[in-house]
Amino acid sequence: MKSSEEKEFVSQLEENQNIIHKICRLYTTDEDAHKDLFQEITIQLWKAYPNFRGDSKFTTWAYRVGLNTAITLYRKKKKAIDTIEFDGSYHKVKQEDYNFEEEEQLKLLYGAISELNDIEKALVFLYLEDKDYTEISETLGISEVNARVKMNRVKGKLKKILNP
Amino acid sequence: MDELEILKRDWKNKEHSFKRISEKEIYAMLHKRSSSIVKWILVISIAEVLFWTTISILTADDDYFKTLKTYHLNTILPIISAVNYAVLIGFIYLFYKNYRMINAIDTVKQLMISILKTRKTVQYYVWYNLAMVFFSFILVFSFQFMYDPKINELLDSFSQNGGNSKTFYFFIFAIYFVVAIVFVGLIWLFYRLLYGILLKRLYNNYKELKKIDL
Repeated sequence: MKSSEEKEFVSQLEENQNIIHKICRLYTTDEDAHKDLFQEITIQLWKAYPNFRGDSKFTTWAYRVGLNTAITLYRKKKKAIDTIEFDGSYHKVKQEDYNFEEEEQLKLLYGAISELNDIEKALVFLYLEDKDYTEISETLGISEVNARVKMNRVKGKLKKILNP
Repeated sequence: MDELEILKRDWKNKEHSFKRISEKEIYAMLHKRSSSIVKWILVISIAEVLFWTTISILTADDDYFKTLKTYHLNTILPIISAVNYAVLIGFIYLFYKNYRMINAIDTVKQLMISILKTRKTVQYYVWYNLAMVFFSFILVFSFQFMYDPKINELLDSFSQNGGNSKTFYFFIFAIYFVVAIVFVGLIWLFYRLLYGILLKRLYNNYKELKKIDL
């Protein structure tokens, strides 16, 4: 039996699934793990759904539960394979966007991101998603000033990889 | 252009490159089991209590009660057992309460703090178990020493052969002590491995977050 609550949840999640995919992309290195984490985030979102009262946007809420799951709750099935280079091949790239030099840089950057720790990954993710420091601090539970300081450090770390 | 801006652009370009999950697949996922660490802590602790209870029921045959009687432990041990089970039930209740308190919509830091509280409870549970095991060992050994006819025979034959009874006591106690330490050590190692593996990543992430937010 599918309750109306369940229907509402599934359609909202289906619509906003990219958020979860993007988290999985940063925190996993292969398709199996991606699916696994996607599923765990879905379960956690569903479990927390009764507490979601609609006073914040579904997406804001999904960011938080998604990151919480990836960083804290989720148990990796296999041993972490953090050292394996980030595999971007399963993300389709449009032909006209192809630029060799840029592509090399991106490969390096994604590789560097995959080496970051879980908290730094969360910062990079929130930066890429254009979140402001208020939201970053509210998601992670740290002060805005400290979020800013750490973000600059992580950005510096990534830039240094491209310009050693 | 800033390198990180290139990254951001690429990130946005690829936003729609993921294989979409259908509503039907999402429905299926809702009914799958979660494998969150909090749930694992709860499941393991319950399994553990069940395991030890089963063992104690299976080993409690007539011989066991006879031995208890010879050691004069037949009144004190059931009381200890009852207290022990009451404490264990209390722990299970705490584990469950912690489990319910954990909320995925908290901030990352708050969530970690809640889980580490669970870890603290687990730690108390481990310490309690170890203390209990050690205490039981000492209790059973001392009563065995006082009442076991075999020990008395052994002591007699030892003295008859010109041995010093002090040496005898020393040896017996040394053996008791080593056995107790080894036993407790093994259980401690088991807990460390079990919960260590379970909570290592969480603990590292928490340390990282605290380092940022001093």
